[in-house]
Amino acid sequence: MSTKTPAAPAGQQVQQSSPRLPNPGSKKFFRTIEPYIWIAPSIILMAVFIVTPIAKVFQLSMNKVTRAGKLKGFNNFENFTSVIKDPAFSLVLKNTILWTVAVVVISTLLGFILALLLNNKFRGRKIARAIVVFPWATTLVIQASAWKFVINTDYGTLNALLKKLGIISASVNWTSTPTIWFIWEIACGIFVTVPFVCFCVLSGLQSIDTSYYEAATVDGADYFQKLFKITLPLVKSSLTVSTVLNIIYVFNSFPIIWTMTKGDPANSTDTLVTYLYKLAFYNGKQGEASAVSVIGFIILLMCASIYMIYTLRKGDEDL
Amino acid sequence: MSQPANAIQKKPISLKKTILRLLLYFVVLDVCIITLYPYFAMLCTALKSREEIFSGNSVLPVTVLWSNFIDIWSRAPMAKYMLNSIIIAGGSTIIAMLCGIPAAYALARMKFKGQTAFLGFVIVSQMFAPVVLLIGIYQVMQVLHLTDSILGLIFINAAFNQAFTIWLLRGTFIGISADMEQAATIDGCNRIQSMMKVLLPVAAPGIVTTLIFIFINAWNEYTVALCLISTDTLKPLTVGINTFNGYNIIEWQYLFAASIFAIIPVVILFMCIEKNLVSGLASGGVKG
Repeated sequence: MSTKTPAAPAGQQVQQSSPRLPNPGSKKFFRTIEPYIWIAPSIILMAVFIVTPIAKVFQLSMNKVTRAGKLKGFNNFENFTSVIKDPAFSLVLKNTILWTVAVVVISTLLGFILALLLNNKFRGRKIARAIVVFPWATTLVIQASAWKFVINTDYGTLNALLKKLGIISASVNWTSTPTIWFIWEIACGIFVTVPFVCFCVLSGLQSIDTSYYEAATVDGADYFQKLFKITLPLVKSSLTVSTVLNIIYVFNSFPIIWTMTKGDPANSTDTLVTYLYKLAFYNGKQGEASAVSVIGFIILLMCASIYMIYTLRKGDEDL
Repeated sequence: MSQPANAIQKKPISLKKTILRLLLYFVVLDVCIITLYPYFAMLCTALKSREEIFSGNSVLPVTVLWSNFIDIWSRAPMAKYMLNSIIIAGGSTIIAMLCGIPAAYALARMKFKGQTAFLGFVIVSQMFAPVVLLIGIYQVMQVLHLTDSILGLIFINAAFNQAFTIWLLRGTFIGISADMEQAATIDGCNRIQSMMKVLLPVAAPGIVTTLIFIFINAWNEYTVALCLISTDTLKPLTVGINTFNGYNIIEWQYLFAASIFAIIPVVILFMCIEKNLVSGLASGGVKG
């Protein structure tokens, strides 16, 4: 992987910013503010539609909020305490962590193995890659509906298929308990996440210089030595990107659980996002729902800082 | 199974290699079957009658009912949903690009105070998924009178796709040497001209990849649309198809027939950009 340095900006445009602000109207002044004009549309767009909602959520979480969404003043973090006191919340938190960890870890493993397989040259490789991309491109609601249908006890095609193949004689109830529902949701989550990991790793694999493997073969390294000493270190950066993004996406993933169970029965399959959606839009508890959002940010922020600290510390030896 | 290493050895094909090869085909075939199975089940179900679905005896349709694909257009305002999806996805793409291209250009070609901070902010904004901010988004939309409006959805999608747009485009622009633009500047072009006439044509593959990726993201968006849109004729496909997913009865054959219409365009688009997208993500993200 070649290290690209940011291209030197076109010669004369670079001006050391002078200690005092140049005269408005002068060319120099224009050059100082020019970059900000270029990024302004993007900043305005994000400020209005991302930053303001973030600020709103924080504000709501600190205030007593009426059902209509009117603020009634600071209430001493009551939203947070009432959320944390709710016995459902610890269940939801546990589910969220289980959901995120299970989906991210298993799909990273499977995606990595699948990428190794697809990196081999074989007939039909292009078709296989095209097929693997399917779940990544399909919207999650539809994926989840399809799964919900396939595993249905009474008319799902999984039972029909297994009966046809003679593996089972009578219909099996694939979703007998909430825990099993949750496992199916995790399976569906893995199913849609694997392609993303797979393609990130593939891009890393394809940039590895084959001469490393040749040298290793000459030295008598076996397959697993090559895998752990050459492949893994060199795709590490691709794996890190996909893992970090996946933690965020999976943690915040809403459609799969919403389509399959809506978090029911009794919060047993809820994660933070479905829980807060119900709090805000079904129960009209916007203050509490915002508090759940903020708790979610804090958890993600902690994960992100662990990652940052880790990369900053490791950064020097890697580059 | 590391191909490069095997390739240089040029040994005669051994039994071990043949077995490994067969195993590879077997695993890849299995993965493909498992991946396609939900789609296969969807297609089969879309071709069945209600009675046949609920009898639950077969995977393949006994009597193929193509009429389901026609019925959905009269049973729900499918054409409207489809049009809404196209407008939302198209509109989001245009706005995201109009805001994202200049920002990515500035990040790739200029030096300014707060550059790192801006890039950091762009990356951090990825952390906030729309679903966690829904309450805030809803309130902002109320102030702007954009609840229950397609325009509102367009802005939200464009904003939440800014990070990806800037990320991918910045990577593309950095990968292109600035020499030609400098030459154009010397020939008397101003910045905008040199960007439009020199950089953008060269960056076209990366731009198309980004464009399609945003389009797909916006097309597939579900949560915000579910929350903001209440008028039936303003719903995009992802939300609209739930008309067939009623409280009492789910009309699976229609739900899946409609789903197939929602899937096909994006899957085709996605296959076109898959290769560029992945390398774009890697170069925009990991480096610099």
